[in-house]
Amino acid sequence: MSKAASFWQSDEMNQRLKKRYAAERRFKALGLLAILVSLAFLAFLLVTMIANGIGGIDWDFITSSDATEPDRAGIFGALKGSFFTMVVTLMLSFPLGVLAAIYLEEFAPKNNRWIEWVEVSINNLAAVPSIIFGLLGLAVFIQVMHLPRSTPIVGGMTLALMTLPVIVIAGRSAIQAVPPSIRDAALAVGASPVQTVFHHVLPLALPGILTGTIIGMSRALGETAPLLLIGMRAFVATPPDGIASDATVLPMQIFLWSGEIDRGFVQNTSAAIIVLLAFLIAMNGIAIYLRNRFETRW
Amino acid sequence: MSPVFALLAVLGLGLIGWFTARAKAQNLHSGRGTLHSLPSYHAWHMAIWVALPAFMGWALWQLIAPGLIENSVLADPAASILPEGDFQRSAILSEARSIAGNPEAVAFNPKARELVPAFAEAIAKYNWIGTALSLLLAFVGGAWGYSKIRAAYPARTQVERTVMLFLLLASLIAILTTFGIIASLIFETGVFFGYVSPADFLLGTQWAPDPFTSATKEGLGEDYGAIPLFWGTIFIGAIIAMVVAIPLGLMSAIYLTQYANPKLRKLLKPVLEILAGIPTVVYGYFAALTIAPMVRDFAIFIGMENPSTESALAAGAVMGVMIIPFVSSMADDSIAAVPSSMRDGSLAMGATKSETIKRVLIPAALPGIVAGIMLAISRAIGETMIVYMAAGAAANLSANPFDSMTTVTFQIAKLLNSEGEFNHPATLAAFALGLVLFVVTLALNIIALRVVKRFREAYE
Repeated sequence: MSKAASFWQSDEMNQRLKKRYAAERRFKALGLLAILVSLAFLAFLLVTMIANGIGGIDWDFITSSDATEPDRAGIFGALKGSFFTMVVTLMLSFPLGVLAAIYLEEFAPKNNRWIEWVEVSINNLAAVPSIIFGLLGLAVFIQVMHLPRSTPIVGGMTLALMTLPVIVIAGRSAIQAVPPSIRDAALAVGASPVQTVFHHVLPLALPGILTGTIIGMSRALGETAPLLLIGMRAFVATPPDGIASDATVLPMQIFLWSGEIDRGFVQNTSAAIIVLLAFLIAMNGIAIYLRNRFETRW
Repeated sequence: MSPVFALLAVLGLGLIGWFTARAKAQNLHSGRGTLHSLPSYHAWHMAIWVALPAFMGWALWQLIAPGLIENSVLADPAASILPEGDFQRSAILSEARSIAGNPEAVAFNPKARELVPAFAEAIAKYNWIGTALSLLLAFVGGAWGYSKIRAAYPARTQVERTVMLFLLLASLIAILTTFGIIASLIFETGVFFGYVSPADFLLGTQWAPDPFTSATKEGLGEDYGAIPLFWGTIFIGAIIAMVVAIPLGLMSAIYLTQYANPKLRKLLKPVLEILAGIPTVVYGYFAALTIAPMVRDFAIFIGMENPSTESALAAGAVMGVMIIPFVSSMADDSIAAVPSSMRDGSLAMGATKSETIKRVLIPAALPGIVAGIMLAISRAIGETMIVYMAAGAAANLSANPFDSMTTVTFQIAKLLNSEGEFNHPATLAAFALGLVLFVVTLALNIIALRVVKRFREAYE
C-alpha cells in the first residue's frame, strides 16, 4: 500500500506527468497555430488585394468598359455580362431545382431503380469538377445546338447545370424539415396532394430553398473555368445589351487583366477582385440573414 | 419573325385563354349545379392547352428546321461555289450560318460571305413557317381546351397530372446531364482515338500537341503522351496541396471541436469557411502575383540556379489552403461520429486530452478522415484556375517542386483556347483528358462515399 502511494509521488512519476502535460500543451498550441496560419493566409490575401486595388476603385472604374489602357478600363461591361449570365442561370436552375426537389422528396416512388439513378447522378454531379461542365457546354450547346459562343445564354446554361444539384440538395433538406403534421392537416381538410405541397409545404420550405439557391448562385458568380471553355474570354469593349451578345463576366475580366503585362492592370485586377468579393460577401450575408430570420425550428 | 416574338405571342395567348376560361367557369358556377373544379383550375387547364402544344410544335420545328434550311441553301444557285470535300463544305456552311445569325461576325472564308444572303432568306422563311405553325397549334389547343369547360369536367385532376409530369421531367434533368457529360466525352474521345492510339495517349511521356500540324501526320501519337500531365496533376493536387491541407485542416478541426470554447468556435468556424468561398480566380491571381515570386526568391536563397517564375509549389500550396475548410469539416464530422463513450473511457483511464485524441479518436475516425481526404483530392485535381494562372504550361516529368509543371485541367483549358479547328486532334485531346479526369474524380467520390457510409454504420 505504502509502496504504491510512494510510486505515485515519486520523482520519476512527476517527471513523467510533466512530460505528458507539456505534450498536451504542445498539441493544443499546434491546433491553435494551424488555425492562425490559415487565417493569416486569408488576411494576407485580403490585405494584398486591398492594398493593390483600393486606389483603383472610383466611379469611372465602375461605369466604363474594358479598354486597352489600364486607366481607362473599367468593369461595367463585365458586371453587365455577369448580370445577364446570372439571370439565365437563375431562371433555369431555380425552377428546375425546386421542381426536382419536390418530386424526389414528396412524390417519387420508393425503391424505384430510376429514382435511385436520379439521386446517384445528382450527388455525383455536385462533385464533378467545374471544367467538365465547360466541356459539356462546348460539346452540346455550341457544337450540337449551334448557340452563339461567348454569350451569356450559353454561359448561363452551363452554370445552371452546375448549380442545379446544389439547389436540389438544399431544396430536399428544406422540404424534409417541414413536419409531416402540416401535410396531414392539409390532407385531412380535403386538399389534394399537389395542393398540399404547393400551398402548404413549399411556402414553409422556401426560406431554406432560397438560402441554398443564393449559395449556389454565389458559387456560379465566382466561377471561371467552364466559361473559359465556351469562349467567354473575348475582349469586349462595349457592354453586352442582351443574353445573346458577346460578353465577359467579372471573374473572367479578372483573369484577362491578370495576363496583361502593363503594371497598371495590377491595380485594375485587384480592384475588380475587391468588387467581386464584395458581391459574394453581400450574397452570403443575405443567405445568413434569411436563415436566421425565417428558419423555423419545429 | 424572331423566335422571341413567337414565344411572347404564345404566352400572350395563354394568358388570354386563362382569363376567358376562368370567366366561363365562373359563369357556370353562378348557374345551376356545382363545379367539379374551381374556376382557376379550368383557367390553368385552358392555358396549358394553349401553350403546351404550341411550345412542343415549336421545339419540334427547331429540330427539323436546320436540315430544311441547309437543303434550301444547297439548292440555291449560290451554293455551286462550294468545294466538293465534305469537311471544307460543312466548315463554310457553318460559318455562313453564324454570319447570317450575327452580322457582326467576321468571315474568314470569302465563299461563306456569298452564301449569307441565301442563308438569311432561308432562315427567315422557315422561322416564319415555324411561328405560324406554333400559333396555329395554340389556337387548335385552345379551342379544344375551351370546349372542355363543363361543370362536371375534372379540370383539377388534369392540371395536377400535368404538374406531376413537369416534376418528373425536372428531376430527370440530372440524369440527362450525367448522360450528356458521359456521351459527349466518350464520343469526342472516340474521335480523338481515331487519330492517336490510346496506348500512345495513356503511356507516352512527351506532350507537345500542335493545333496547326496536319491531323494525318506520321507519328502524331508521339506528341500526345499524357503521362507528364498525370504526374503534374498528382504532384500538385494530391501531394503538395495535401501536404499543406491535411495537417492544417486536421489540426484546425481538432482544435475547434476539442479545445476551443463554444464562443470561439462559433466565431472561428465561419471565418475559416470563407477560405472555401473565395473564387478560384482570386486564388490564382494571388498565387501568381504574390506567392510565386516568394517561392522563386526562396529557391534562389537555397541555391537553385535560374528557377522558373511559375512553380508547382506556389500553385499546390495555394490550392492546399483553399482545401483546408473542406478537410477540416470532413474531419470534424468523422470525429463527431465517434461515440462519446470511447472518449470518456479513455479520459477516465487517466489519458490526457491529446493522448485521447491521438490514440483513440483519430484511429476510430480514420476511415472517415481518409474518405474526406479522398474527396479533397478529387476536388484539388479538378481545380483549374489556380494551376492555369500559377503552375505553367511546360509538361515536365520532375519531382522538383520549384519546377514549372502542368496539369490535366490546365491543358484542357489551353487546348480549347487555341484557335484551332474543333475536329483537330489537338482540340479533341481536351475531351480525352476530360474523360480521364471525370472517371478519376468519380471513382474517388464513389469509393469515399462508400467508406463513409460503412464507417457511419459501424458506430450506429
